[in-house]
Amino acid sequence: MSLFSFLGTLEIGFIFGLVAVGVYLTFRVLDFPDLTVDGSFTMGAAVAAALIIAGVNPYLATICAVFGGAAAGLVTAWLNLRFNILHLLASILTMTALYTINLRIMGKPNLALITEPTVLSPFQSLGIPNMYLKVFFVAFVVIAIGLLLAWFLNTQYGMAMRATGSNPRMAQANGIVVNQKIFAGLALSNGLVALAGALFAQTNGFADSTMGIGTIVVGLAAVIVGESLFNSRSMLIIVLSCIVGSLLYRLAVAVALNADFIGFNTSDLNLITAVLVGLALILPQLRREWKARKAAQGGEA
Amino acid sequence: MIRCEDLKVTFNAGLATEKRALRGVNLTIPQGEFVTVIGSNGAGKSTLLNTIAGDIRSSSGKLLFDDRDVTSLSAAARTRDVARVFQDPLAGTCGDMTIEENMALAYGRGQRGGLKLALNEPLRKLFREQLSRLNLGLEDRLNAQMGLLSGGQRQSVSLLMSALQPSKILLLDEHTAALDPKTAALVMEITDQIVAEKKLTVLMVTHSMRQALDHGSRTIMMHEGQVAFDLSGEERSNYGVKDLLNLFAQIRPDGEELDDDKLLLGA
Repeated sequence: MSLFSFLGTLEIGFIFGLVAVGVYLTFRVLDFPDLTVDGSFTMGAAVAAALIIAGVNPYLATICAVFGGAAAGLVTAWLNLRFNILHLLASILTMTALYTINLRIMGKPNLALITEPTVLSPFQSLGIPNMYLKVFFVAFVVIAIGLLLAWFLNTQYGMAMRATGSNPRMAQANGIVVNQKIFAGLALSNGLVALAGALFAQTNGFADSTMGIGTIVVGLAAVIVGESLFNSRSMLIIVLSCIVGSLLYRLAVAVALNADFIGFNTSDLNLITAVLVGLALILPQLRREWKARKAAQGGEA
Repeated sequence: MIRCEDLKVTFNAGLATEKRALRGVNLTIPQGEFVTVIGSNGAGKSTLLNTIAGDIRSSSGKLLFDDRDVTSLSAAARTRDVARVFQDPLAGTCGDMTIEENMALAYGRGQRGGLKLALNEPLRKLFREQLSRLNLGLEDRLNAQMGLLSGGQRQSVSLLMSALQPSKILLLDEHTAALDPKTAALVMEITDQIVAEKKLTVLMVTHSMRQALDHGSRTIMMHEGQVAFDLSGEERSNYGVKDLLNLFAQIRPDGEELDDDKLLLGA
């Protein structure tokens, strides 16, 4: 793997670290499997790209992208909470609707941002080569957001959100308005994923209507990889492990695609992802079974 | 004070499975009174508690705390006045959060959860003090995951949690039923301590006649969604488990046998 592609892998790994953190919030904290992210990732990219091309400041455009994603999350939560539509189905409905909305936002299937100013522009005069600058920038943003989120999950509000996912009856008996926490959590999660989309569009120079496909699986893969490596109750370690999981996942994929002797090409990515996620799910289970068997044998002896 | 005025609850109204769980409950419990609630399965004991807590909306009638009408308040809003402990030890705590996090959640009951860190040193000190009352050694395990504790330990912690915030009303729904006799006795002892200390108004549902008579100062029996009888004062202190069983037989003129073994157990 060349240095250039290694840096590119890190950059995408960090950006999808945000997706992983968003997926962690819904799947693990709220126990609300949310597939909206496939649409909100694209939405973040689409809103940021369309606004930047229209001449809006890239930072303002990125903030708008975050709000767009958050709104998508609110729609999913509303469909589920107000009308009792199964959470998975509610999120698929939103995701499907977003595909059209994203095309409308962009006006065409893809937008190029190569020549436009981006969130990186103010730093380009520093004289750091662009390929390093991009990695530093996304690493800084993603880690800073990770730290903020870990702090948030330890606040009264954040802890109430965790209780909502863990035991809604207990949460309610302790005065927590459960539905409000689910709305807030889905908005936050999809806002983060949209931010990832907006950063991706700006560092890679394009937004495309199909770029969000599979976002949920990649995010989930990162969460699972992170979880199987770090077993901790600390919010800080859990959030950072999502980001590390995303980096490792991207590196593993890059290595697999680069190993000429295996003969993979980029179109094999989905199979590789499925196998990696499958392994990450299977190994802890096998380890438990192996431990149980060993304990049983020890008991007989 | 809790006042129920002709409180009615009907499940599945209008359907073949319609169930009139409460058929007009009239009950006034003065501030600081500890009432035990008995009755056979399906008599409406738990429905009464869940209606007071706000989990179940009454179909008609009125519910007042002190002189405030709370009939239309949500369960979350009522938690300013009401604390509760459930029968299932797993229901009252979050298994995948730590002991101190669970206690921090209970400490925030009835308050607006803000963006302040939920835990800090003074709070941990308070939690340790409270936990040491249990004599279970939990004060040194603040960081242990709740799911690792035994049912009895979890229930004891739930009880402490219910008393972390000042509240007026404590609802106990067979909170010792899932515990072994020794742990149940410990949990009841702590219950009595907390109730006396905080001068709470308590409704305790129990399946044990012994428990119903030994704790609190008043006993009501529910039958078919209504208060069948109401014992207090001297009359109650002369009652034994046998007398209660006789009363049970009286309100069931069809001679239906008590089929619930738990009801007969002394402990």
